[in-house]
Formats: sequence, structure tokens, C-alpha cells
Amino acid sequence: MAGFLLQLLADGLVTGIGIGLVAISFTLYYATTGTFHVAHAGLYTLGAYMAWWLTTMSVPFALACIAAAAICLLAGLLVQVLVYDRLDRTDASPLAKLIASLGVLYVLQNLVAILFSPDLLQFPTAWRGGVIQLGEVYLSYAQLVVAGSGLVIFAALMAFTRLTMAGTRIRAVASNPFLAEITQLRPHRVYLMVMAIASAIVAVAGAAIGFDQAIQPYTGILVLLVATIAVIAGGIGSITGAFVISIFLSVLQNATLVVLPGRWSIALTFALFIAFIVIRPRGLFAHR
Amino acid sequence: MNRFHAAATAALAIFSIAVMPAHADEKLVFGALLPLTGPAAPIGAEQQRGVDYAVRKINESGGIDGRKVEFRYEDSQGKPDTGVLSFNKLIDYDHVPAVISAFSSVGIAIGPIATRRETLVLNPGAQSDQLGDISPFLLNTIPLVHDETKVLARYIYDKVGARNVAVIYENAAAGTDGRNDFVEAFKKLGGTIVADEAIEFGQTNYRPTLLKVRAAKPDLVYLVVLQGYEPLIEQIGQIPGFPVCAGTTFLRLAWGHLEAVGWYQSAVHSEIDPKIEEEFKTIYKQPDMSFFGREYYTAANIIFEATAHVLKDGKDLTGRNLLDKINEIQDFENSVAKLHFDKSTNTAKRGIEVLKYTKTEREVVAVESAK
Repeated sequence: MAGFLLQLLADGLVTGIGIGLVAISFTLYYATTGTFHVAHAGLYTLGAYMAWWLTTMSVPFALACIAAAAICLLAGLLVQVLVYDRLDRTDASPLAKLIASLGVLYVLQNLVAILFSPDLLQFPTAWRGGVIQLGEVYLSYAQLVVAGSGLVIFAALMAFTRLTMAGTRIRAVASNPFLAEITQLRPHRVYLMVMAIASAIVAVAGAAIGFDQAIQPYTGILVLLVATIAVIAGGIGSITGAFVISIFLSVLQNATLVVLPGRWSIALTFALFIAFIVIRPRGLFAHR
Repeated sequence: MNRFHAAATAALAIFSIAVMPAHADEKLVFGALLPLTGPAAPIGAEQQRGVDYAVRKINESGGIDGRKVEFRYEDSQGKPDTGVLSFNKLIDYDHVPAVISAFSSVGIAIGPIATRRETLVLNPGAQSDQLGDISPFLLNTIPLVHDETKVLARYIYDKVGARNVAVIYENAAAGTDGRNDFVEAFKKLGGTIVADEAIEFGQTNYRPTLLKVRAAKPDLVYLVVLQGYEPLIEQIGQIPGFPVCAGTTFLRLAWGHLEAVGWYQSAVHSEIDPKIEEEFKTIYKQPDMSFFGREYYTAANIIFEATAHVLKDGKDLTGRNLLDKINEIQDFENSVAKLHFDKSTNTAKRGIEVLKYTKTEREVVAVESAK
């Protein structure tokens, strides 16, 4: 029984780190711009498929990931310039931007479905399925990739936002866009920056999770849903909060399997979300 | 002949030619409602190839009563709402008397419409038990889940000797039916279900479910999963000591994976003519005709045979007349399968076999006959 629980915990930790990458990239963008960027799930999917496609052309997985991140960075910038910035210039409502974002999401999902088929696809990397034993816990090499890349990117993002001028500028714009505008911080340039960073990170998340499991055009939105809950429960704008709550939710989903049927795990996630909103609406790690 | 008479004669001649039955040029059009896009699109592609091959063969042999055959394909995406819209289009716009369908949820949704519009629906791919009596106009050409699961449960209990079984099923129409039927059949034999876990359609992370199932220490795991076999089998292989698995026709995609050696599968019995399969493989560049390819080829041929008889009888080509003809003919045989229809049920009687996966083949270890 102990081995079973430890394995569930380990698997939950790895899954949570993967979702954490989606959460931290989403919160970075949302907290700075105020745009509910649902198309983030489309970029997650695009990143997964770009990495997959490159590995089928014998590009090593690490390089494929970097290339996928670069492609999604550019794609994200296009979305920002062609969609969100244009809507901002017309004073579009947040609802209009949400609908536009949904449109971009559907375009991206169906584009990959048309180009690569809607089949479930797996990365053709031979070493992917190998397993390592750590005490009573077994982790695949692909799971180690998810965990390793997740922790490194989280640490890097924290360092960037805390220790660099660009990070300080992002936090300033996020805290008060109006003041940022009049003090020449150029918020729209910051929006481009956060979109680029968020898109690159979510592409790595899509590639890593897809590398571990499989890729499909339509599952990105489910991942984003759980990540959004983590963002809100962790406190909008809190990268640490988003990351920690993502791990907490995944571990809890796995742990509850011991007593509940598996299909209740998503319901439990939403139940927790409701509890968070009621008890602490600002989120667990929100700053004043 | 004066000018009036000449003009009248010419007009009459032109009129006669215009209204003359142009049957030799008029195609026989039927419909196929398949998941051409969406997560089930690969299955839809297999199904479409089967129908297309049947159309190709019949047209190569001169068509039916000298008339070429055509199928209009509409996309259901595997969803009932889209399926209903597409089905209505086939009836109202294309005026087809018969449709070949796919997916249990789609079949269940279009069944009442088929009754109302008296359109024949042949189902060669879905196995939900609800399809057994959803419409007098919907005929199933393959056994439904309860038929296969009874055979499999009996084999697992009697021959494999499993007494404690865990169930993993997909939370969709065919999945829940497969689960319910197996649980009922296995418990009736005296077996115990030690774990019972649902997974979602399109899911890719199965580890928590698999761990929970292994922790229940079953003798065998019964799988009813329609999609996502690749990651499921891979993740099973990553869990040391995971028990052997069994499943119905849906499990067929698991064969060929090392992790699946020793697994059991029930299947609809069919004996394909090797020449037919070779030709199919050449034309469509596929490794084999596949289960859906064979079954949809068979279903199309049933429609063709019934159509030939209806036309020979001088009757209108309607869903009602096709249905009556199928019930009249009862026995259908082609280079792939033998089926028997009777009025007591909407489901054809077919043989059901149990296969065991080895490294090189799916070995037939038991067959139960159709009648």
C-alpha cells in the first residue's frame, strides 16, 4: 500500500509540474495584460505538434523542443499583434477579446488536426519509454524530462521576474498599466515580451507532456482548464502560487483515487476551486 | 404533313425523349455517415475505405441493373448532434434510401429519425446494446457488446481460470455497455469484480487508474477502450507486475505491442478471401483490410444485394423495401463474412471467436457459432 501511495504521489508530482508550466506562463500573460488568453491552449498544442514533427525528422528531442518554443514564440507574437493589439486599439471589451482568443484556439487546433491528422500520436524517440526505479517508485525517462524541464523553467522565470530589469518592468506594468503608460514604460511592448515568454514556455510544456503521454489536437483546453484553476487559486500574478497549486491539485487528484472512482477527480478539482474562491478569493499566494 | 403536324410530332418526340426513364445514366445513391474528422477520424478513414472498395468492385462489374453506384459521405465527427444534422442532410438533400452508420452514440441519435423517415440504416461498426432495439429500420451487421462479452467472460472464467477481474472502461456509450455486460456476465458465472474504473474518451494519462487497478490484485484486467491504446499500453508496460488483459473487438489495436503478448480478445468471426485482401492492400496501400474495412465492405454489399432484388421486383428503392428485402433474403455471404438476419432481432447472427495474442499472430483459441 505504501508503494502504491508513493507511486501515486510521484506521478502526481510530475503531472503537476507539467501543468505548472502551463499555469505559470498563463498567469504571467494574464496578470500583465488582463486578457484571458484561451488561445494559450492552442499554442500548447502547436508546440507539442511542432516538437513531434521535428522528432519524426530525426531531430533530437531537446533541439526539437527549443525549435518548437521558437515557433510558438513567433506564433504568440502574431496573435498579440494581429488580434489583441488591434482589439485594444478599438477599445474592445474583454468579452470580445475572449471570443477572438477562442477563435484563434479553434484555428490552431484544427490546423494541427488537418496537417497531422486527429490521431493520437506518440513521439518516436526510442528511449522515451525506459523506466528508472527510485526505491519503490518507477518513473519513465519521459516523466523525468517533464519534471526536470518544469523545475528549471520555473526557477528561470522566477529569477527573470525578480532579478532583471525586464522582469521589474513586467511587474510594474502588471500592477498598474495606466501608470505604466504615462511613465513611458510602454505597456504594449511589455505585452509583446510576456506573450513571447509565455508562448515559448507553454510550447515546452506541450512538448514535454506530449513526449510522456501522447499528443492530440483537442486536449490542450483541458490542461489549460486545470492550469487556470491553479492560477486563480494560487493568486493571479503569483508564479509561485500557480506552480505550487498545480502540483497540489495533481497530487490531490491522484491521492483521491484511493477512495473515489477516477472520473470524480476533475469534479473534485472544481469543488476545491469553488472552496478557494469562497474562502480566499484573492488566492493563496496573492500579494496586496 | 403540314407544318402544324410536323411541329407537333417533333415536340412529341422531344417530350418522349425527355421523360424517357434515363435509368441507364441514373446512379444509385446511398449514404454513409462516418467520423471523417475529430478524434475518431482514423476509424472513419478505415470505414470509408471499406465502403469505397465495395463501390469500386460493384461498379467494375457493371453496377446494379446496369446502373452505377455512388455513396455520399457525410461527417458525424463521432458526435450525435453532428450525426443527426448530417443524417437529415442525406435524407432531405441526397434522398438516399439507405445509410451506413458508425459510432454508438450517433446510431442511437439517428435511430428514431430512421423510423420516422423510413430510411434503412446499417450499422457495421458500433456495438452498444441500445442499438439492438433503437429502430426497426436500424440493422446491426455485427454482434453487439453483450454477445461478445458473454463469450469472452465464459472463456476467461472457464479456460483462463480468472476469478477476480478488474475493469477499465471508456466513459462513452459503447464503453459503459461493454463494462455493464461483462460485469453482469462474469458475476453470473461466479466471478468477482475487484476494481471498476472509468477513463475519459481521448485521455492520455492512465497511470493513476492503472496503479489503482494493479493495487486491487486482479487475476486479469478487462479493457473496454475505444481510443488511446498506444499510451495506455505503453503505460501498462511501465508498471511492473500489471496483470494480463482481455477485451472485445475494440482491443484489436493492442495487438503487435510487446506488452500485449498473452492478452485475450473476442472478435467477430470472418474469413476474408486472401485475393480480396491483397487487392485492397494494393489499392489503398494499407497493411491489411482491417476490421472496419471488412465490415463496411460487407455492409455495402448487403445494401447492393438487397437493392438488386428490389429493382428486379420492380419496386421503388425505398428504405422500407430494402428492409423488407433484407429480412426476406436473410442469409448474406460475400468474400469476407456470412450473416444471418431474422425478424426476431435487428442484429445479424455471426460467429464470435476468442483470440490470444502471441508475438507473431492472433491465435484463434475458441469459436462460438452464429446460430
